[in-house]
Amino acid sequence: MKVFIDPPNSLILFDLVERFGNEPLSTMAALQERVDNLEIDMPPMNVTLDDVVKGLKYAGIEVPSGVRGRLSIWGPMIEAADAAIVVEDAPFEFGCVGCERSELMVKYLIKRSGKPALKLKYPEDEDEGKVFVQKVKEFLEGLQ
Amino acid sequence: MIKIAQLSCGTEYSSVQYEIEKAARSVGAKVVYPDVSAADVELAVERFGFRPRSAQLKLMIARAVQLADGNYDADAVFITTCFRCAEAALVRNEVRRFIQENTNLPVVTYSFTERLKASQLLTRMEALVTIVTRKELLARERQSGLTVGLDSGSSTTKAVVMLNNKIIGKSWTPSHNVVESATQVLNEALAQAGYEYKDIEAIGTTGYGRFTLGQHFSDKCKLVQEELTVNSKGAVWLADRQRGEATIIDIGGMDNKAITVRDGIPDNFTMGGVCAGASGRFLEMTSKRLKIDVTELGALADKGNWRNAKMNSYCSVFGIQDLVTTLGDGKSFEDVAAAACHSVAEQVYEQQLQEIDVRHPIIQVGGTSLISGLVTQVGEVLGEKPIVPENSQFIGAVGGALLSSGFL
Amino acid sequence: MRETRLLMICPTSRLTPDVLAREIHATGKDVKIKETCYGCLIEGEREVVREVTAFAREIDHNAVFSKRRAYKAGDPVRCRAQHGTRPGFAQLESEWEALPLIKAGLDAADNGEKTEEKPGKKKLPAIRFKEICEVK
Repeated sequence: MKVFIDPPNSLILFDLVERFGNEPLSTMAALQERVDNLEIDMPPMNVTLDDVVKGLKYAGIEVPSGVRGRLSIWGPMIEAADAAIVVEDAPFEFGCVGCERSELMVKYLIKRSGKPALKLKYPEDEDEGKVFVQKVKEFLEGLQ
Repeated sequence: MIKIAQLSCGTEYSSVQYEIEKAARSVGAKVVYPDVSAADVELAVERFGFRPRSAQLKLMIARAVQLADGNYDADAVFITTCFRCAEAALVRNEVRRFIQENTNLPVVTYSFTERLKASQLLTRMEALVTIVTRKELLARERQSGLTVGLDSGSSTTKAVVMLNNKIIGKSWTPSHNVVESATQVLNEALAQAGYEYKDIEAIGTTGYGRFTLGQHFSDKCKLVQEELTVNSKGAVWLADRQRGEATIIDIGGMDNKAITVRDGIPDNFTMGGVCAGASGRFLEMTSKRLKIDVTELGALADKGNWRNAKMNSYCSVFGIQDLVTTLGDGKSFEDVAAAACHSVAEQVYEQQLQEIDVRHPIIQVGGTSLISGLVTQVGEVLGEKPIVPENSQFIGAVGGALLSSGFL
Repeated sequence: MRETRLLMICPTSRLTPDVLAREIHATGKDVKIKETCYGCLIEGEREVVREVTAFAREIDHNAVFSKRRAYKAGDPVRCRAQHGTRPGFAQLESEWEALPLIKAGLDAADNGEKTEEKPGKKKLPAIRFKEICEVK
C-alpha cells in the first residue's frame, strides 16, 4: 500500500510505514527525481519553475510561490496514495514542512480525497509512544 | 570571499534558490546559513517575541539571533521571503530591523515570486558586497574637493560639479550616445561652475552607462558604482536626512525605483518598468492629449480634484481615453490633470510599494518629482507629503560626486 | 536507480555510528557509506540499499531508523561544511530526540503489549471557570 505521510519529510513516519511493510510516499523521493534529472541544465533546489506553475492546480496565483511549489510536490503524492498518516501537532516542522499554510492545505487535501487517514497525536512520554506505534501498526494492518 | 548569510522562507520551493546562489557567486560572494540547532529555535523565538506559526520563519528568527550574538561569522545579510505572504512579510521586516539594531552587518531584503527578476537580485547582491567592501566610503556624509558625478540613465544623462560640499554646476540632456551625452552635460556643468576638465580631482559614474563612462574618463574616474547605493547617498545628502530611516521614491519616465535606507545605506529596493500606467510616461501622454507641456501638468493638477474625473482603467491606453471622455462631459482640465497624477501615484503604490516597507520620511526624487501635482498625489496615497529636495533630479550625479570625493 | 538513505541511531542505544558503518562494511555489499553525527548515510542501487537497511535495522533491534534522502551523499549543495545547516537539519535533530519514545513503542508492539490511550485534557468550561473566579 502506498501511504502518504505528513509531515512529508518525517523520519519517524517514513521508517514506521516501511518497517510495517508498506511504501511511504515521501518528499525526498519526489525531490530526487528532480535533482537527478539530467535534462535540466541547472539542478533545481528543490523544485523547478514548471513545478511552481503546476502548483496553480491546487492554489491560485494570489497564493505565495513557496506554497504552490510545495503543493505541486505533495498534491500528486496525495492523489497517488492509498492512505495517509498525519501527525497533527508535530513539534518538528522544519525544511519542506516549514510553511504553515502549505501544511494546512495538505491536511485539507487529504480530507477531501476521502482516503483512509490516521490522525496521530505527537507522543510526549513512553506510554504515548507505545500508543503511537500501536495505532500506526493497526492502521496499516487494516489496510491490507 | 564575502559571506552573505541567507535568512529566508520559501526559496527552495519557489525555484529561486539556485538563482540566489548564482547571483552571489557572480559578485564574488557566497551564500551561507547560520548554524542553528533545534533547541536554539524555541529560545530564540521566545527572546525575539514574535511567534510565527510557520517553523521556517522561526528558523529565520533563530538564525538572526545567532548573527546578533556573534555566534556565526558573516559579512552581510540577505533576508528574503515569498511575495504575498503576510506572515513572512511581518517577520521579514522585523528580522531586518533586529539585525540592524543588533549588528553592524549590511542587510538587503527581497520578496520574490517564482518569476524572480535576476537583474534586481544581482543589483541587491552587488549593493551588499559594495556596502561590505566600501563601508568607510559609504559612511561619507560630506563632499570635499572638486569632484564630478555623471549619471548615465536610460532616458536622461546628468552631470553635477561639486566643490567642498556645494553644488556649483549642473546640467542634463536626453540620453543618446552614452559618451557624447555625458561629455555635453559635463562641459555645460563645468562652464557653469567656472572650472575646466583638468581641474577635476575625481569623477564618479553611475547608471546603466557607468562602465562605458568609467573607461572613457579613466584618467579622472575613481568610482564606478550601481545606482542603488549611489542614489541613496545622493538623496539623503540632498534632503539632509543622512541619519535614520527614509524611503526614496523615484518615478521615472519608464521605470520606477523605491529604495528604503537607514543612515543613508540602502537595505531594500523595488524596481518596476513594465507598465506605462505606473510611470512618468502616463503623464507625458496625458499632457499631449491635453495639448499642454508636461511641466505645466503639475500646477494644473494641484488646482483640481481627482475625485471629479473618474477613471475606469489605469492603463495608459484606456485610462487616458477615460480622461478625454471626462473632458467631453464638461469636467475641468484641472480635475483631469489631478486624476492623471493620482492614477500614477496609486499604480506605483499598488504595483510596487507593497513589496517594500515604506518608512518615513518619504523623499521623492527624479525628473517627475518636479511635477508638483504628482508629489501631492503620492502624498495623498501614502498619507504623508513627500520631501522633494532641491536638485532632486540630480541624485545619481550628486551621489557620484559625493562618493568619488572619498578617494581624494 | 540510486537510492540514498539516512540511518539514524536512537540516542539511548549503545551503538555508535562508527560500529554501524563497520558492520555494514563487513557485509561486503556494494554501497557507499558515510558516517554522520547521528548514524550514517548509505548510497547505492535501490535493491542493495534496501537489503542493507533491513540488515542495519537488526544490528540493534528497534534502535536504527531510516529514511530516504533526495540529494547524493556529500552533495555540496546539501553539505553542512560548505555553508552551514540547511532547514531540514533542525527537523532531523528534533525527530532524533523523539526516537526513544518510538523505540519503546516498537518494543511494546514486538511483545504484543497493549497500551490504553489516556484521554486528552479538555478546556475548562467557561461556566466552571467563572465559578472558580467567584470563590471568595
